[in-house]
Amino acid sequence: MVPLWLGVIPFGLAYAVLARDTGLSVVETEALSLLVFAGSAQVSAVGLLGRGAGGLEIVLTTFLLNVRHVLYGLSLGRVVPLSPRERVVAAYFLTDEAYGVSLARGARTFPFVLGAELSLFAVWNLATVAGAFLGGVIPDPERLGVDFVFPVAFLALLVPLLRRRVDVLVAVVAGAVAWLLAQWLPGGLPVLGAGASAALLGAALTRERRA
Amino acid sequence: MSFWWTCGGMLAVTFGSRLAGLTLQVRLPAFWLRFLHFVPIAVFAALVTPSLEGSRGEGGIRVAAAAAATLVAWRTRQLALAIAVGMGAFWLLRLVPG
Repeated sequence: MVPLWLGVIPFGLAYAVLARDTGLSVVETEALSLLVFAGSAQVSAVGLLGRGAGGLEIVLTTFLLNVRHVLYGLSLGRVVPLSPRERVVAAYFLTDEAYGVSLARGARTFPFVLGAELSLFAVWNLATVAGAFLGGVIPDPERLGVDFVFPVAFLALLVPLLRRRVDVLVAVVAGAVAWLLAQWLPGGLPVLGAGASAALLGAALTRERRA
Repeated sequence: MSFWWTCGGMLAVTFGSRLAGLTLQVRLPAFWLRFLHFVPIAVFAALVTPSLEGSRGEGGIRVAAAAAATLVAWRTRQLALAIAVGMGAFWLLRLVPG
């Protein structure tokens, strides 16, 4: 789990600094980490808030980003024996990383799954608290150009996901469509529209099954 | 107030997705499995471009700094390093007169 923490800590710090930069309070920044606990959705939500997006656009984008957890649950539910109550607890703390670890080298029991999940939950929330206080002390973000952290952070998250040519194509199309839509549409609609349509394009262009 | 409605909605759709998979056991069609693979790629890319140029007439140096960050992210896959290089390049280029 320790190598995973090394990835979670800067991500959590970056999220919290961005959240404070957008105008969220320390409590609101931390509430998203405690209640939603989904890194990419939290960072996207904060980015959308900064663009003046409405709540509905943010919730729909969150759904688009997090509906992949259905897959993890389906897969995990088959290999780990769980009682109905354990399913609810395991679901609350489920993440990409905890799923990966549980499936790859897990003991495939509820205590192991929960341990992997909670260790990530604890580190993510500690990093959020640290970043939330750090973000609050950055003076006059506009003049310093701190808003530039947003596109840079999303680029740094995006690039490692690009493994195949079709991945790059989908990213380029999504970026171009979002830029065009942003000339006319406010808030989070360009992100939602470009995100959904480019992902559909990717699915239509690929044949072989890819998990 | 609107923050907490949004937060509640995000909680509902996220926890709902996590719980649905663990409690229902169904099979998703292959097309939607592939769609899900592309969602984070498309959403992240769509979040980059509208905020890349900025509103202060610094589009040129922002694109250049973003290119530097992309290069570092591609070579190292280190999130923190790529962000640091991108911001560092941006602040350095800002100091150049003209």
